[in-house]
Amino acid sequence: MVLKLLGLGFRYLLRRPYTRLYPYKEPPFTTERTRARHLLYMDRCIGCRACQLACPADAIKMYKIEGEWPKNRLKIFPGVDYSRCTYCGLCVEACPTSALVMTDYTMEHLITEDKSTTLYTPEMLAEPPKGEHRVTFTKDLLKPPPQPPPKKGGGG
Amino acid sequence: MRKLQVFLGPQHPGAPGNVAFLLTLDGERILDVDLIPGFLHRGFEKMMEYRRWDMDLVMSARICVEDPDHVELSYTHAMDQIFGVDPPERAKYARTIVAEFSRLASHLLWMMHFAGPVAARYATSWAIAAREEVLKWFDYVAGHRIYHHYIYPGGVRWNLPKDLKERTLQVLDRVEGLVRDMERGFFLHPVFQRRARDVGRLKASDAVRLGATGPVLRGSGVAHDIRKALKYDAYGMVDFEIPKGEYGDAYDRAMVRLREMYVSIGIIRQAVQQIPEEGPYRWRLPMALPPGEGVGRVESARGEFMTHIVSTTEKPGGRPLEPYRIKFRGPTMAHLTTVLKHIVHNEEITVADFPVVVGSLDPCPPDIDR
Repeated sequence: MVLKLLGLGFRYLLRRPYTRLYPYKEPPFTTERTRARHLLYMDRCIGCRACQLACPADAIKMYKIEGEWPKNRLKIFPGVDYSRCTYCGLCVEACPTSALVMTDYTMEHLITEDKSTTLYTPEMLAEPPKGEHRVTFTKDLLKPPPQPPPKKGGGG
Repeated sequence: MRKLQVFLGPQHPGAPGNVAFLLTLDGERILDVDLIPGFLHRGFEKMMEYRRWDMDLVMSARICVEDPDHVELSYTHAMDQIFGVDPPERAKYARTIVAEFSRLASHLLWMMHFAGPVAARYATSWAIAAREEVLKWFDYVAGHRIYHHYIYPGGVRWNLPKDLKERTLQVLDRVEGLVRDMERGFFLHPVFQRRARDVGRLKASDAVRLGATGPVLRGSGVAHDIRKALKYDAYGMVDFEIPKGEYGDAYDRAMVRLREMYVSIGIIRQAVQQIPEEGPYRWRLPMALPPGEGVGRVESARGEFMTHIVSTTEKPGGRPLEPYRIKFRGPTMAHLTTVLKHIVHNEEITVADFPVVVGSLDPCPPDIDR
């Protein structure tokens, strides 16, 4: 029994460790569906506040940005407080114009020692993350879109 | 006889998370135990009355951190009843696969918590390595490691990936290999057997009387499983057995969880073979919540998890987007109050045995406080 266990333990000793040596050697593990930092396309946003109303954590607030915005007459855009955001993605689903998407730029990159820097204004969200990232969560993931449920007791 | 009262937890390494116990001791022997909850109370049930039903789904996952998908699943079943929909076939299989992966992740985390107090540090590392594989699978399907928000009223939130079958089978092979090593290296180890055998015995009749569910009930020899009893989602279409114990001690409860990991792997293997290739994954539901009541009962990793939702149009003010009342019932409260007290009163439990007994009940403190 002891020898068997020693053999088992020795096998694990020779294996590659599961721990990722972030940030020195490897980036955080992400996939094609990872939901992380948002990216805002300001030219698509119509200022409808659907993202703000959909947020369960009250992380989204609308900010007025002066400038020429032909689609956004109120000139209001979403800003995300990452000290509250739970990365659920309901804001992306709620957006009627696909102005808000999510990238795989994970929260490990957003770690900060200064609490006042967790708030990302619309201009900051519109700026793509500086590090390596890809757009992962868009409304395309919901294609084909959900259909209405079949009526019960139908069939003529 | 001089009695001593000791406050154990929530900062104590032997405490199972954010709960405390007040132990009454006579020397090394524990005479009485009282649960002190409240360290993790977040008021979810009240908060949910002021949020839309789709936002409530996101909040419900936080009720049990280790096993979030079963909370989502019970919430979803209750919502499906209120909306009067039956999810599409493909979604039923997807829900079953995700729920079983959640059970695997939860049992592996339990294994990590349980192996520590019995001084098997190597087994904690193996369990976390196996869980890492499961969490990566969740990231690949649902986009997140811990809180997935994938099971959704009317089906699942989005379609499954195209290479689901191949990738899932690969992950299961790796996890099964690690679980088999844990079985040989930890569960069948004589030192662990001596540590957990005949400790924390619970008879079948007492388990039923005291409200035990899940592996605690099955460890006592009662083969009751809501997956078999209600056959919800795709559980009626896959073949699986219910593992049960014989003596009802800590070792039997541990072995039930080990065998359940193999059962979960078997269910997922069948489900990925049987899942329809095409078809809708979710029915589109209206934003306004119809009046009605729904009850969702599921077999979570720790036992029966129930959600009761009441929706009414008579809510004063505003549109009927939020439920009138939501009530969750998790399995942990019964295990850490009535069951634990019964074990301590009827057996000579020492302080050193206490983490073994509590660990074998696999408590999830967030579902006590909510």
